[in-house]
Formats: sequence, structure tokens, C-alpha cells
Amino acid sequence: MAYQATLHALADPTRRAIFEALQQEASSVGRLAEQLPVSRPAVSQHLKVLKGAGLVTERRDGARRIYGVELNGLVELRRYLDGLWDGALEAFRQEAEKKPSGRKGSRRGR
Amino acid sequence: MAVEKLSSYREPVRKSITVACDSAHAFSVFTSGIARWWPLATHSISTDRARECVIEPRVGGGVYEVRDDGERFAWGRVLAWEPPVRLVLSWHAGMPAELAQEVEVRFTPIAQGTRVDLEHRGWEALGPGAGDAHKGYNAGWESLFVKLFAAACAQPTTQPST
Repeated sequence: MAYQATLHALADPTRRAIFEALQQEASSVGRLAEQLPVSRPAVSQHLKVLKGAGLVTERRDGARRIYGVELNGLVELRRYLDGLWDGALEAFRQEAEKKPSGRKGSRRGR
Repeated sequence: MAVEKLSSYREPVRKSITVACDSAHAFSVFTSGIARWWPLATHSISTDRARECVIEPRVGGGVYEVRDDGERFAWGRVLAWEPPVRLVLSWHAGMPAELAQEVEVRFTPIAQGTRVDLEHRGWEALGPGAGDAHKGYNAGWESLFVKLFAAACAQPTTQPST
């Protein structure tokens, strides 16, 4: 689920720090590693997760890869929740209207 | 941190529906009957192995799903239990508890039955838990998320089509 992936990605404080740094300014792995107390390989790993969650984009600048923030990841999250509650509440309505007497566990005729 | 200011940015998910039954029944179906309607197969942690879900009927009660082998997976906690009027849950299904949001559900009697208003809010809580709130790493995270989230929500790509 996009929603879960987004939140999983952001649940890690280092990834949040990377995401935050990229929001200030698009950056390379090397620059991120300089700014944060994290090794370059670790930064790369975190970027991979953030990319997988649709939160970060990558573009090439010559030999370098520049990473930036992708807002659509958050749009997805919002959209997922919207759809979740639409579906869940409709199912709730159907269930609630089945037994207007309020009795539980009783058999009902159809 | 200026909570008032942050709250003006956040954009909760809000839903309202009308159900043709009284509010006591609606509240009861929503809570003790949640396993009968929640789309567990698609919206659960253990998906096709999820057997049921539970909202414990008291403040502080657990909200969780149960897998077919009996294992429980927490979704959140009951923060307010006011039958048949109002229910507030902390909500972190599928994520670490420190990312908990809030879901508030209100049940209002109306002529046709009950209006149910749901609000999923607390995006600013998608940040550090109380325990690590002082770590420099997380400084600014709240406002960052809220800003980005508000911007994302404002994008015209979100269509309310049904």
C-alpha cells in the first residue's frame, strides 16, 4: 500500500532528516552524507527506500545523481486515506442498517 | 512549537454519512461490531490472514486486529469513549506507534437516523514521539510534514470523484 510505504519510509529518523534536507535543497548523496552523521552507503540505502515510497525523485546532472522531494508521495497518502474511509464507512452503513433493532447475534430474515 | 499555527495548515480527512438507525445502534456497530464491516482483507496488517478486529470499549482500550494464529497487531488506542455520541481513537495501523494520528467519530441523531461524522487528523503527529522530541534530528519535522502535506493536498490532482 502506498500509504504504508510512505509512513514506513518516514518512520525512520534518519530518513526523515534526509527528506527534510532535500526539502531545503535538492542534493547529491555526497552532500547529504556531509550534512548528516551518516555514511554515503547508508544515505544511498535510505534514498532507495524514500524513492520506493514515491517521496523522492532522482535526476542526473552529468555524472552525478541529484535527489529531490516528490510531493506526489504525500498526495498518494492522502488519497489512500480518503478512499479507505469511503469504503469502510459505506460497509459500516450497510452493516448498521441490517439490524435496526440493535440486537446483536440474532438471526435475521432476508 | 506553535501548535495553533500548525493546526491551521493541517488538512484532516473528513467524511460524513447518514445511516438509517438510531445513534446507539450506530455506535455499537461501529465499535463492538467493527469486525462485521471493516474491510479486513484489504485494510489490515495481516491481510488475508486477518481474522477479526477489536475496539475495546473503554478509554485506554486497545484497537487491534487478530491474525488467524491469534497474534494481535495494534492499530491504536481508545482516547475517548462516549457512547452513543463520540469516539476518539489514536491510529497507527501498520506503523510505529510514534506516528499515531487520531480518528474521531461523532454520532448525531437526525430525523432519518444518525449522521456519522468522521475526522482522521493529526498529521502533525507524524513526527517524533514524545520520547525523542528533543533530538535535533527531528527538529522542524513537524512543520515540514505539515507544510508539505498541506501543499500536496492543495494540488488539483486530488479529485473527489466517486
